[in-house]
Amino acid sequence: MSQVNIICVGCPLGCAATLAIGDDGKLAAITGCKCKAGQKYVVKEYKNPVRVLTGTIVTQDSARPLLPVRTAAPIPKAKLLPGMKVLAKTRIKPPVMIGDVIISNLLGTRVSVVATSDLLA
Amino acid sequence: MGQIDTEVLVIGGGVLGTAVARELSRYKVDTTLVEKEADFGWGSTKANMCLVCQGADTLEFRREYRRSKLVWESMPLMEPLCQELDVPFKRVGELAVFFDNGGRAKFQKMKSRAESMGMTTHQFVDRETLRQMEPNIARDAIGALYDPNIAITDPVRLTMALAENAKRNGVKLLTRTKVVDISSGTEEFEVQTSQGAIRSRFIVNAAGLFVDKVAAMVNADEFVVFPIKGYVVILDKKVGDLVSHEIHARPEAPGENNIVTPSVYGNLFIGTPMKLARRNDQSTTRQMADTTLRNVRRLVPDISERDIISSFAGFLMFRNWELGWHECVVSASGNVPRFISVSIGYPGVSAAPATAKEVVKLLSQEGLKLEENLKFNPYSKAITHFSDLSEEEKRALIAKDERYRYAVCRCETVTEGEVVEAISRGATTLDGVKFRTRAGMGRCQGGFCGPRIISILARELGIPEEQVTKKGGRSQLLLYKSKQLLEGVTCP
Amino acid sequence: MSLKNVDVAVIGSGPAGMAAAIKAKETGAENVVIMERAEQLGGLLHQCIHNGFGLLYFKEDLTGPEYAHRFIEKLMDSGVKPLLETMAIGISPDREIIAVSSREGYITFRPKSIVLAMGCRERTRGALNIPGTRPAGIFTAGTAQRLVNIDGFIPGKKVVILGSGDIGMIMARRLTLEGAKVEGVVEILPYVGGLIRNQVQCLHDFNIPLLLECTVTQIHGEERVEAVTIAMVDTKRKLIAGTEKQIECDTLLLSVGLIPENELSQMAGVKLDPITGGPIVNEIRQTSVPGIFAGGNVVHVHDLVDNVSWESEIAGQSAAELIHGRRKSWERGITLKPGRNIKYIVPHTISGKREVTLYMRVNEPEEDVRLKVGTIVTKALRAVKPAEMLKLELSSAQLSKLGEGTTEIVIDCEKRGGR
Repeated sequence: MSQVNIICVGCPLGCAATLAIGDDGKLAAITGCKCKAGQKYVVKEYKNPVRVLTGTIVTQDSARPLLPVRTAAPIPKAKLLPGMKVLAKTRIKPPVMIGDVIISNLLGTRVSVVATSDLLA
Repeated sequence: MGQIDTEVLVIGGGVLGTAVARELSRYKVDTTLVEKEADFGWGSTKANMCLVCQGADTLEFRREYRRSKLVWESMPLMEPLCQELDVPFKRVGELAVFFDNGGRAKFQKMKSRAESMGMTTHQFVDRETLRQMEPNIARDAIGALYDPNIAITDPVRLTMALAENAKRNGVKLLTRTKVVDISSGTEEFEVQTSQGAIRSRFIVNAAGLFVDKVAAMVNADEFVVFPIKGYVVILDKKVGDLVSHEIHARPEAPGENNIVTPSVYGNLFIGTPMKLARRNDQSTTRQMADTTLRNVRRLVPDISERDIISSFAGFLMFRNWELGWHECVVSASGNVPRFISVSIGYPGVSAAPATAKEVVKLLSQEGLKLEENLKFNPYSKAITHFSDLSEEEKRALIAKDERYRYAVCRCETVTEGEVVEAISRGATTLDGVKFRTRAGMGRCQGGFCGPRIISILARELGIPEEQVTKKGGRSQLLLYKSKQLLEGVTCP
Repeated sequence: MSLKNVDVAVIGSGPAGMAAAIKAKETGAENVVIMERAEQLGGLLHQCIHNGFGLLYFKEDLTGPEYAHRFIEKLMDSGVKPLLETMAIGISPDREIIAVSSREGYITFRPKSIVLAMGCRERTRGALNIPGTRPAGIFTAGTAQRLVNIDGFIPGKKVVILGSGDIGMIMARRLTLEGAKVEGVVEILPYVGGLIRNQVQCLHDFNIPLLLECTVTQIHGEERVEAVTIAMVDTKRKLIAGTEKQIECDTLLLSVGLIPENELSQMAGVKLDPITGGPIVNEIRQTSVPGIFAGGNVVHVHDLVDNVSWESEIAGQSAAELIHGRRKSWERGITLKPGRNIKYIVPHTISGKREVTLYMRVNEPEEDVRLKVGTIVTKALRAVKPAEMLKLELSSAQLSKLGEGTTEIVIDCEKRGGR
């Protein structure tokens, strides 16, 4: 039996949930959540924690040094820092429109990195 | 820098060193000034209450003290000097406040002593008059001794103006140049600095915090200095009119001399005590802050911690602690010819004008030939301060030079044009721009203007932004470029 | 550009200013001008490259630049005239604006109405009076955010962050993602200063220590920051001797409070509330000076940009309606008084005749509480925290329960479950 602690971010209560994980790796019990929605969130967060990655890409030939970007959808938490390294190696030139795909399928996640702003010059 | 040969080397670019340099530039003397920091006035000159014309204030001095003479002789010189150099000068007057008859009696002694020395400007004011002059003074103050002569200025700006004027009149200025060793030959000194060697016939040692160390390099004299640390707090301009005179009370105990004064820019300065400390430790402590606020509220109860925008510590170099207000060092060395040491201690800024003249006299006594420099121009114009201009002047300036249309500092309304001018007139660091334009001295303390000024400095100096420093040396502000810290990535 | 007959001048083009300007146009104001000191519209949204914006307003999870883009497009289509690179340096009580502008030079004009949307500045090291030396390497979190996300610099590689407000936590994550090491976030209170979501996604996700009931007591380093001393504090925020610890670092970030930027407001004679730091406003966001309205962070510090835009739309609409004579310029009304555990309420007064949304904050975190608006409304809440602004909508029906001649309503945050 092992334990995992997860804080629910659904509401200002911030319930500290404790998940009991059986030896077979299956979720055995959840304690600490004060509502069902929170419980659902906590399970999802345990099974597959995902986050939107936001960052910047260095530009070339542009009056602006950086272009802000994001993943179009959340990606697995474990890929955040590796994702940053991919961004660090990427360069972009104008023109770019907001929403343009800069990197498709970031690190095998099938999620694109898109521009969150125009880069017109 | 190649080897420099000069006639007079001034060591130290604080208010005394630069005043001496400017005084020397009235004559045809080859003068070089070296300053170890990136800019002028960044040692003792920077950390004080900005008060001048304190002759009558220094009443515990013995009249036979050399310092008394220099301070009194400086009193009529400061205002004309500030006018020549276009540096702010405001006669605020001083109220030395007392809370009982014992206090009054002590101040009576001071007044009598002043009168015996020919100073008759002091007068007592009673409770009602005091309240009229200062509605926010503590209710239990029963009166004050009023000296209308005390004034305020901006000592760093004064120092920078002295340096600039000296340079225009032929003095060679070297910043970021630290004196490391001096050897004296028969005719001249050989000075090793961090930027190379300088040969000079005469030396004026105005090295402020390190005046004794420099003197020791040539065994010029053995004098002991006592660094006394003071603490200054700057309050927001919105409480700047809590008082209109400089106010202090007689210290109840040693080290309790608390001062409240307006500043020339509309802030309030409060300052305090003085304690022996290590000269390389400019840090402030929580206790200094608490003590200062507590003591100063005794004078002006409405002063609140909430209005603090900045604070810092600085040093006065006292020479002889036992004597209290000490005698200064402004003299030729007893051991080594052509070597003059200058250290006032308190009040250094006040005493600078007459001290500079005295030093020139001492140099002449040591053999320096003084031939008048007919091209000497005593005047300097200040860097344009956009926010001080009239509406017409603002319009005219903006129409003429587009750079005055960009406000870089919101709190003090400083425009890009002023920042560029400051850089062209010697600023090479963020603090250098700050002290010349006031950008970064407002309530946001550089939060808004900082990135913009870094960018303008980089552009004007032709250096990458990562090389821009706060105050020279290794005080770079931006250590890395984007992505530089991510592993396995070469710099973009 | 002719500034002769400006109906509404909006100062600031962040989420507040843009929303106000667009709404003013939509309400029928013809000549609407928006003033912005930077080279582009959007204010600080451009440097907030993280997501979490627009969840309520657009029902989408947007980044700051994307949120800005939506409003910028709408604004450009609406006919609002942008005055970029234009900084207002003065406003008189009779609404004369003085500004310096890169294109227009020195300008003065008197619009028929003004919407103040200048946002906030950050509390500084100087204001906190943190003892120690004065090296390079101390930044407020917002300034650091600008440097990292717009200018392309990482201030340092070993960072301590003082203050667990949202900006501090966001920057903790941002710097970590750029390869720096954040040694810890130091918070003087016994609870986190920002949203839970940020605590989890900025600190927990990256194993960044959150040191509660701690503060920075000394800064070390002559030229550049070399270390900070931290110490624990007791419940009265007094330092506990013997708990000092030194943390080596080259950068100190401060996230210790936002202060509504009301220098211009004060020049115009606008009355401020010392608790919020912003203008006293009524439900149409009118300030104490006729013709001057305000919305967004300049009035009170918000958590969610969505509320900033909604609130400022009220200001923009009111400014436009004023010109058409549809509103009285200063409606005296019912004063809303903060009661138990309520720090402030905006707006400060309501008419009691129209539905209105109240924004408020509590002083202390509590669980199982009930908001009581006089005797007319109660709302149960599971938990309240100072960092999470409360929003309460009062309907006309609820307001009709107010007695004739009501001049004041007290709003309390009470504990439920019997006391």
